[in-house]
Amino acid sequence: MILSIRLLFIAVLQVVITSIITYWLVADEYIELSEQSLETLESIMIEQKQQQLKNYTSIAISAVEHLYKPSDQDNTVVKSLVADIFDSMLYSGDDGYFFVYDGKGVSIAHPKEPFRIGKNFWELENAKGEKTIQILLENAKAGGGFYRYPWLKPSLQKVSEKMGYSVYLANWDWMVGTGVYLDDVNSQLSILQDEIDQHINKTKQIILLVAISSIFIIFLFGLIVNLNQKKRTDLKISELGQKIINLQEEERRYFSRELHDGIVQILVSIKYSLEATSIFLKKAEQTKPAPLEHAETNLVTAIQEIRRISHHLHPRILDELGLSAAMDSLSKEFSQRTGVFVNVTKPAVRKLLPDHINTTLYRVVQESLNNIEKHANASYVAIHLSIQNNWLTLLVKDDGSGFDTSPEADTSGFGIGLRNLAERVEYHSGKFDISSSKKGTTIRAEIPTASFVNYFNQSNIEAA
Amino acid sequence: MNSDELDVKKITVMLVDDHPMVQGGLRACLSFYEDIKIVGSTTEGKEALNKALELKPDVILMDISMPFMNGIDATEIITEQLDDTKVLIFSMHDSAEFVTSSIQAGASGYILKDTTSEEVYYAIKAVSNGKTHFSSSIAKVLVESPVRAGNEKLTTREQVILSYIAQGNSSKEIARKLNISFRTVEAHRRNIKAKLNIDSLAELVRYAVNHGLVES
Repeated sequence: MILSIRLLFIAVLQVVITSIITYWLVADEYIELSEQSLETLESIMIEQKQQQLKNYTSIAISAVEHLYKPSDQDNTVVKSLVADIFDSMLYSGDDGYFFVYDGKGVSIAHPKEPFRIGKNFWELENAKGEKTIQILLENAKAGGGFYRYPWLKPSLQKVSEKMGYSVYLANWDWMVGTGVYLDDVNSQLSILQDEIDQHINKTKQIILLVAISSIFIIFLFGLIVNLNQKKRTDLKISELGQKIINLQEEERRYFSRELHDGIVQILVSIKYSLEATSIFLKKAEQTKPAPLEHAETNLVTAIQEIRRISHHLHPRILDELGLSAAMDSLSKEFSQRTGVFVNVTKPAVRKLLPDHINTTLYRVVQESLNNIEKHANASYVAIHLSIQNNWLTLLVKDDGSGFDTSPEADTSGFGIGLRNLAERVEYHSGKFDISSSKKGTTIRAEIPTASFVNYFNQSNIEAA
Repeated sequence: MNSDELDVKKITVMLVDDHPMVQGGLRACLSFYEDIKIVGSTTEGKEALNKALELKPDVILMDISMPFMNGIDATEIITEQLDDTKVLIFSMHDSAEFVTSSIQAGASGYILKDTTSEEVYYAIKAVSNGKTHFSSSIAKVLVESPVRAGNEKLTTREQVILSYIAQGNSSKEIARKLNISFRTVEAHRRNIKAKLNIDSLAELVRYAVNHGLVES
């Protein structure tokens, strides 16, 4: 049975559905996982930053400790010295600096925005609606704390999210703070996010590729199965065709024999009975009646007619004398009918071939001669039968006008067809070939000796 | 003429035809000719061999198409063994190949079955006198394709002997197997070599193998 389109469609559909489900599950899982790890990563990075801020701050504080601790509270010289020190402590390029405010929100030190110095920012409100300085002061008074707020990033001159850490210098009612901008964390995270997206895309592509190649393989498999199936079906049809042809030849032979060896013989016996009657009348000196004369003549006509039919169905000479004699007879008839000279060469031995090979080769000669008569316009034909190197070769050559042997050419005019003959010869493990040019046509049929070896002995000695 | 004189002159004839009705019709016609006596009949080629050896008729009227062994092969074996028996082929086949094959096999004449009984009679008389006789249409065919010496095909008997030779049998063994004389086998051997244009035994064997007559 041919693999149906429907079956292929179902297989393809399954691949498509499986691919979609796989893609969906994998992508979903991947996204969830990546979100989790991104969050973890973010918190780790933030923690690191916080630790850094604490470290920087404690380093900064310890740098001014020798001035801050022992001095009395209102030494403005010392205070301005300390403020200068904080101003000068920069790290991480432009963005790492310390700021100082007093308990009322007045800016004391701010290296990146010196215009703030001396001004009160108690009421400063950020984009989140929170009072930035108040919160930083609260954190500081509470023993140090972190606060995220939007603030101008010096290196970019743009407002960006900043994480600030502030501590309290209680003796002076000062709040000292520093901070990091989180946009680099975010950009690192977004690079990671991009990488994850790329991975997901890659997975998507792989699944798509697998799906497409699966579909391709299914189609290829289907194609191969169908081609194989078709080949086998063709072979079966060809075998069946040969069986039908063999049966047909058998039938023809049977009827030919029945007519020739049955009915004709009966008619012959009737003819001799009629003749006996004639002789009897003659001896009795009576005149032969006209109807008797008619009957004798008509009987001879009937005999000849039936013999003609019998010969047309299957030449008895093929069975009685073999292929060589049948070819001789056929070519003689052909020459007489067409005036084309035919030269036949054949081996000295005969009756070598079993009936079916005999008949097949006889039909090759017959069909070739028919084609020559109808189409070739030839003046000379050579029929050559020989056995050499384990092959029996039959050649029918003419010097006619030739014809197009390409498969596309219209050869429908050539009787039962050369293609049919080719199949018949190939059925006996043989080879068949036609070559044609404007100088003439050669038809070649070959049968391996193995197909008929010892046949003569079996039919003429072992049967005896 | 008295009956004793007639008996001496009578030609003994044997009929070989697979159709009893044809034999019956022929008997009816030939019964009017007093110098012919039908001494026996058979319907197939192989039985004809035994009966011919037994009856040794002057003339055998032999059909060609018969079951088991055709008339031509039977003729070859009969004429090989009986020098004085003439075989007259009596057949429906009118192709030259049948005629030439019959002549090769040793037949003295060939007449067609749709001929007149008168011709059958004359043919029997002619061959019994050591002459040949062919129906007029057959004679025409013979003129068109004469049997040429040197270009002849092997007869069935010769092929059988070639096959035995190729299987390693000596002439003596072949003579015993075919129940014929050593000299006859040797004669066949010479004929085979002449027809195939071959001198040596090795070449004979190779020829038989090449042509699929025997297995290699």
